[in-house]
Amino acid sequence: MARYLTPAKIGLLVLIELYTEEAIPHDAILPVLSFITSNLVDRDTHNRSCNTDDKSAWANAERTISLVVSIKDFEKLLGSYPFLMGFPGRRLWDQFLGKMWDLNSLNAMHAFLANLPRLLAKTAKELKHEAGGGTPEPEVGIKISRNSLFGLFIRRVGSELGRLQWHDTTELWKSFVQYRQPTAHYLRRKLPGFERLSFDEVLSTAEGQEWDAESVSRLTFIAYDGILAGEHASALPVSTSDVEALLEFQIEQMQKYGARVAPDLRQQLDILLRESVSIPSLAHYLNFLNAWQAGDYATAFDLLHRYFDYAMHSEHQSSYQYGLMNHAVLQADFGCYKEAYEAMLETVTTARENKDMRCLNFALNWLFQFEQSRPYLVSQLRSRDDDSNGVLGTSRKILAYLRVNAKDAKMWPLYCTVWLSEAKLCLLNGESTATAVENMVRSSHLALKYNVKGVMGTQALFWSAYWDRTGLAYLAGLVSEVFLQCHMGNAAFDDELNHTWVLASGLVRKGRYDEGLQALESLDENSLRSLKTSQLWYKYRGILKLQRDLRHNNLRGAEQLLYQLLQSRTDDMSLEMACLIDSLHIEYLTQRGDIQGAFTKTNAALAKFREENRDLALRVDMLLRKVKLLSLAGRPQRGFSVAINAVNIAWRARLVLQLWDALGVLSSILVSFGEFDAASQILIAVIPRAIETDSLLLVAQLYAYLADAWMGLAGQEPPKSTKRTEHMTAALAAVNKAFDYYSSIEDIGKQCEMMAKKAMIMKLSGDMELAADYAAAYVSLKKTAEVLSSGGS
Amino acid sequence: MGLSPRELASLRNTLADATVKCAERGLYQSSKWAAELMNSLPDFEEEEANLDPPEEQIPSPIYTPNLDPSEAALEARELPKYLLAKSFFDCHEYDRCASVFIPDTLLSSVLQSKPDGAPPTPKGKGKEKASSASTFFSSPRAPAISQKSLFLALYAKFLAGEKRKNEEAEMVMGPHDHGSVINKELLVVGRLLSAWFEAKTPQDEESIRAAQRGELPDTPESQGWLEYLYGMVLAREKSEDLAMKYLVRSVHKYQFNWGCWLEMTSLISRPEHLSRTVDACPEHLISYMFHLHSSLELYQQSPALAQNLDKLYSIFPHSPFLLTCNALLSYHSKDLLAAEQHFSRLLASHPRRLDSLDHYSNILYVLNNRPKLAFLAHLCSSVDKFRPESCVVIGNYYSLISMHEKAVQYFRRALTLDKSCLSAWTLMGHEYVELKNTHAAIESYRRAVDVNRRDYRAWYGLGQTYEMLEMHTYSLHYYKMAAGLRPWDGKMWMAVGTCLQRMEKEREAIKALKRALLADAYYETGSSFGSGGELMGSRSATGHLDPEILLQIASLYDALGEEEEAKSYMELCMRQEDGTGAEGGDAMAESVRIHNDSPPASDDGAVDEEQGGREGTGVTAATSKARMWLAKFAMRTHDYDTATQLAMELCQDGVEVEEAKALVREVRARIYALEPGSDGAH
Repeated sequence: MARYLTPAKIGLLVLIELYTEEAIPHDAILPVLSFITSNLVDRDTHNRSCNTDDKSAWANAERTISLVVSIKDFEKLLGSYPFLMGFPGRRLWDQFLGKMWDLNSLNAMHAFLANLPRLLAKTAKELKHEAGGGTPEPEVGIKISRNSLFGLFIRRVGSELGRLQWHDTTELWKSFVQYRQPTAHYLRRKLPGFERLSFDEVLSTAEGQEWDAESVSRLTFIAYDGILAGEHASALPVSTSDVEALLEFQIEQMQKYGARVAPDLRQQLDILLRESVSIPSLAHYLNFLNAWQAGDYATAFDLLHRYFDYAMHSEHQSSYQYGLMNHAVLQADFGCYKEAYEAMLETVTTARENKDMRCLNFALNWLFQFEQSRPYLVSQLRSRDDDSNGVLGTSRKILAYLRVNAKDAKMWPLYCTVWLSEAKLCLLNGESTATAVENMVRSSHLALKYNVKGVMGTQALFWSAYWDRTGLAYLAGLVSEVFLQCHMGNAAFDDELNHTWVLASGLVRKGRYDEGLQALESLDENSLRSLKTSQLWYKYRGILKLQRDLRHNNLRGAEQLLYQLLQSRTDDMSLEMACLIDSLHIEYLTQRGDIQGAFTKTNAALAKFREENRDLALRVDMLLRKVKLLSLAGRPQRGFSVAINAVNIAWRARLVLQLWDALGVLSSILVSFGEFDAASQILIAVIPRAIETDSLLLVAQLYAYLADAWMGLAGQEPPKSTKRTEHMTAALAAVNKAFDYYSSIEDIGKQCEMMAKKAMIMKLSGDMELAADYAAAYVSLKKTAEVLSSGGS
Repeated sequence: MGLSPRELASLRNTLADATVKCAERGLYQSSKWAAELMNSLPDFEEEEANLDPPEEQIPSPIYTPNLDPSEAALEARELPKYLLAKSFFDCHEYDRCASVFIPDTLLSSVLQSKPDGAPPTPKGKGKEKASSASTFFSSPRAPAISQKSLFLALYAKFLAGEKRKNEEAEMVMGPHDHGSVINKELLVVGRLLSAWFEAKTPQDEESIRAAQRGELPDTPESQGWLEYLYGMVLAREKSEDLAMKYLVRSVHKYQFNWGCWLEMTSLISRPEHLSRTVDACPEHLISYMFHLHSSLELYQQSPALAQNLDKLYSIFPHSPFLLTCNALLSYHSKDLLAAEQHFSRLLASHPRRLDSLDHYSNILYVLNNRPKLAFLAHLCSSVDKFRPESCVVIGNYYSLISMHEKAVQYFRRALTLDKSCLSAWTLMGHEYVELKNTHAAIESYRRAVDVNRRDYRAWYGLGQTYEMLEMHTYSLHYYKMAAGLRPWDGKMWMAVGTCLQRMEKEREAIKALKRALLADAYYETGSSFGSGGELMGSRSATGHLDPEILLQIASLYDALGEEEEAKSYMELCMRQEDGTGAEGGDAMAESVRIHNDSPPASDDGAVDEEQGGREGTGVTAATSKARMWLAKFAMRTHDYDTATQLAMELCQDGVEVEEAKALVREVRARIYALEPGSDGAH
C-alpha cells in the first residue's frame, strides 16, 4: 500500500495545475479551491462548530473514502463548468480528463510529479540567483506560495516521491491507470483518436509497428496484472496516510465524543483496511475502542493487549503507565473495580518512578473521582490491604496535591477539574455555598483563559445542580439548555445525555412526562450504540416512566420497571441515581401500602448515608421520607425531632428545595399536634417560595397541608360562625389549588383524595348540591384512576 | 544452412539429453540454456510430417544410460544415495548434499595433509609431487563413486563455499567491503579433483611425456564434467592458464555444457586470445555460438560474425539467445535503432525473460527513450523485482531522469543480489561521477575492472575520473587500457590524445588523435557491412571527420610551430562544414546518418545512399575557430584577400562577430596603408 501518494492525490494535483494555468472559469474557482482544500486539510484541525452535528463530521470521512475510491467526485465537481479555451460544449471536466490522460506513461506520470515544484513561487534567493544579481522580476501567472496549504501539499508530494521505491512507483502507476480507466468510455465517445491502449503510450505506439496484437496483450497482462480486464479487484488505491488519518479521526470521535462509527461507514473503512497490507497499529486501538463501546469485554481486553504489543516496538517503554491506565479504565467500565483500582495504583507507582507528571496527575484524578463515586468500594479495598493507605492519602489530600501539580505541569483541563471537584465537595458536604461558587468561578475562569472546552459539560452540570439546590429550578434548566445549544460541539456524548436528563427531569417535575420522554428519545441513535451510554439512557428512561407510573398509581407497571432497575448493580451507576431509585422504591412500597417495608428500607438507606458521609441533600430527602412514612402510619408526632433535624440541616446547607419540603412536613406534624395556627403561618410563608422551585408535587403537598391547617382552624371556631366559613373557604381554595397541582402532575390518587376533601368541605359547609357534584366527580376520577393504574392513558 | 529432418531430430535429442544431464548435476543455468535452445528449433509438427515413421520405439532421452558401462553400473548402485544427495542439493542444503558421498573425515584429512597451502599442480613439477599426492590420497579416496555423484558432491561443496562467501561479504561499498572474501572450499575441492585426475591418469609413457611437454595428461575415463568443475576452481584460484586447459578439455569431451563455455568466455580478455582458444576447441555447433558470444563480450563486430550469426539463425530460428546476440551485434556496431528494434522484438516474444535486458536498457538510455525505458522498468519489476537485471534497468531509468541517488541505490541492490554483476559496477561508477563523489566512483570502476577486465567503459570511466582529479598519468594509463580494448573507437583515442596534450606530449597526442580520426572513419564504413577497407585510404575526401579532432590536431601543430601542417588541418576542419550536399543542421545530419545505418538492407545500396546523401556538419564552434585561425594566419602571411573573405564568412555565420569585424577593419587599414591611392577597393 502506498504511503502517501494515491491516484486521487494526483487528481488533486492536476486540478491545482489547472488552477495555476488559469484554465478554471471564474465562477468555478471557489468551488474547485474549496474542494481541494477540504480534501487536503487534516481532519484534526477541522473543528466541529456549534451548528454542525455529528452527521456532517462523519460526512467528511465519507467524502475522503469516496474520493479515494473513484474518480466520480471530480466529475461531480467539474461537470457543470465550461471549458474556457476549448470548443463550445466542452466542459471543465473534459479539460481535466485531457490532462489526466496526458499522463500516458509511467514516465509521464513520474515527470509530472517530479516537475511539480515549477508551480511554486520561487524564493527570494532563487529569484536573485536567476536575475544574476540584478533586480528580480516578479513571476508571471499564478504561483503557489511555498508555505500555503497547496504549497505544502506540493512539497510534501515531492518529498514522498523521493521516498518511493521503484516498485511503489509502478504500483502507483497501475492504480492510477485503474482509477482513470472508468472514464475511458466517455473519452472514446468524445475523442476520435482514443484507443483501447491509450492508457499507455508505449503499448499503443508499439502496437502494429513492432509488436503484434498478441504479444501486446501478453505484455499488458504481465505489466498490469490484468487489472484492466477487471480479472481481479486489486487493492483500492488508498495510502497509509489516508488510512491513518481516517483512523485517527475515528479514534478522536470515539474518545472525545464517545460516539460510535456508523455501521455502513465502518464497513467501508473495514474494506479499506482489509486491502492494506500493513495495518497501522492504530487500527487495533480502534478495534479495541469499538469492542469496548460495544461492551465486548473479552475482545476489548484482547485487542488492547494486541495494540500494546504492536505499539511496543514503535514507542518506548514509558508507555507502560499509559497502558496500565487504559487497563484500569477498561476494567472499571466493565465493573471489575478491584482490578481497576489496583491497576490504577500501579499506574501511580510507575508514573512516579518514571517521573511522568501528566500520567500521575491523570491517574490521581481518576482515583479521586473513583473514590467520590464509589466510597464504599474504596474503603473496602483499602481495608483489605493497609499498604495502599500509605500510597494515597485521603481524597482531600489528593485534591490538594493535584491542585499544586496540575498548575505546575500546566495541565489546564485537569486544573479546571480539580477546582470543580473542590466546589462539588463543598456542596456535597453542605459547606458554605459561597466557597463552592468561588471555586467554581475559578474553574470557569481557567476554562475561559486556556480554552478548555472539555470541562464545559461538567461545569454546566454543576451549575444546574447548584441552582436546583438553591431552589431556582428555572435557572438550572436554563444552564442545561444553554449547554445543549452552545457547547455540544466540543462535548462528549455523556454530557449531552446528562444535560438532557436534567431537562427531562425538570419537565417531569412539571408533569410533562411525554415531553421529557421525547427529549430523551430525540438523542442521536448512533451515539447510543455505545454500551455504557445506552445503558444509562435506558435507566433514565426507566426512571422517567417509573415516576409516571407511580403518579398514575400503575403499580403493576411500576413494579416491572422497578425490578428491572433494581437488577443493575448499584456499583454501575452514580450515587445520585442509586439514591433516586431507592427513593422510588420506597415510594412504590408506600403506594402498595407496605409501609413497614418502606420504613425498613428508609432506615437502611439512612444508616448507609450516614456511614458513607454522602450528599446532604439526599440525606435530608431520606429523613423527610421517614417522617412522611411515620405520618402515613398515623404516628406523625414520632417524626417531630427528625423533621426539626431535617429543617436544621437544610437551612444550614442552603438546600432550599429540601428546606421547604421539610417545613411542610413540619407543619403537617404541627397540624397533628393541633397547632393549626403555627402550621398555617409557616405554610403561608413557605408556599410562594416553593412555587418558585417549579416542583409541582411539593407545592401540591404544601397546599394540601395548608388545607388541613385551615380546616383545623375552622374546627376550632364555633359552628356556623363567619370565621369558620372563612376558614373553610380558605381550605377549599387550598384544596382546589392542591387538586390543580396534583392534576397537572397527573397524580391521580392524590387528585381523588383532594376531590373527596372538597366534597367533604362542601358537605360540612352545607352545600349538598355541590357536594354531590364533587362526589360524582370523584367517582369519575376513580374510574380514570383505574384506567390509568392498569396502564392505559 | 538448413538441417535435414534426421539431423534435426538427433540435435533435438542431444539437446534434451544435455538438459537432463545438466539438471542431474545441478547445473541449472546450463540446463535452462539447453532447453531454451532445443525449443527454438523449428516446429516439431512440421517435422513430423516429413519424418519417416520410426521403425522402432525411440527411447526417451531422459533415460539415456551412461555410455561407459562401469560408470553406468556405479550409477545404478548409487541411485538411492544419489537421489538423496540430489534432493538435498535442490533444497539448497549443499554441505549435507556433499556429505552424502564424501565423508567429513576425508575432508578434514585433506586439509591437514598439505600445510603448504598451494594446490597441487600436475603441471611442470613432475613426479615426486604427483607420487606423494597419489600415495596420500590412495587410502582415503577408496570409496569409488561414479563421476556424476562425485561431481554433484564437489559442486555442492563449491556452492556451499560460494554461499558462505556471499554471507561473509560486507555491505556493497561498505567500509569493510574490499572484495577480498574468498571461497574457503576451493582448496578442498581443488585438491580432491586434482587427486582424482592423477588417479585416473594412466601411468604410461605417453602421459608422462605429455606432462613433460607441459600438456595435460589425458584421462580417457572422465566425461568432461569434472574437468569443468576443476577448471572453475582453478579460475577462482587465479591460475587461469591451467583452468583454460581443463575447460577446453571439458568441452572436447562434452560440448553441451554451456556453463563451461561461459566460464571460458570469462577467462578470455582479448580477441587474439579468443581466436587461439577457438582453434583449440572442437569444431562444433556450440563452439560457433561460443565464438559469437565471446566476441560480443569483447565488443567485437565484424561481417564474419554477422554471417556466423545468420547461419546459426537458420538452425535455431526462434532462439532468444541468438536474438540477443543479434541485438548486441547491432549495438556494438553503433546501430542503436536496429539494436533497439531487435530487443523490442525479443521483449514482445519473451516478455518474462529478463536475461540481458540490462543491455536493452542501456540502449534505451542512449536513445533517451524515457517512456519505453520506464515501461521496461515497470515490466521488469512486475516480473521479478529482485533480479540484478531488473535493478540495473530501474537504475538506468533513474539515472536518465537525473535521480542519481536512487540510481545508485538500485545499482547497489543489483550488486547485493549478484556481486559479479559487471554492468552495475560500471554504471554505479557513472552515477558517482554525476554525484561528484570521485572516490566512490573510482572504487566502483575498480571493482568492475576486477570482476571483468574486458569492460572498456569502466576503464574509460576510471580515466575520466582521474582526469577530473587532474591526475593525468593515471588517467592516461586507463585511457590506454580502454583504447586497447576498443582500438576502433575514436572516443577512446581522442581521450588518450587529449590526455597527452594536457601532459604536453604534443607529438604523441597528434598520433593518438590521428588514430581517432581513423577509427571514426572505420566505424563509418564498418557499419555498412562489406565495403570496409578502401575508404580508409581516402579518408579526407569522402570520410566524415570530426571537426573537433581536426581542430585539436591543428592547434597542436600550431603549438609545435609547424604552421603548414596546422594550416592544412585547419582547412580540412573547415571543409567539414559543407560536405557535398546542402548545409543542414548538425542534429539533423546526425539523425539522418543513424537512420541510414539502421537495417543492413543491402550492402552496396546503403553505401551509395550514404555517400550521396552525405551532408556537412554545418557551422560549428570548431569550424568557426578554424576559420578564425585561418583568417589570422592569412593576416600574418599578408594574404589580405583570403583574410577578408574568411572574416566576412565569420560575420555571416554569426559566430564571434565582434572579433571578425575587428579583423575586417584591420585588414582594410592595412590595405589602405599599403595602397594609399586606391581606397574603397572592396
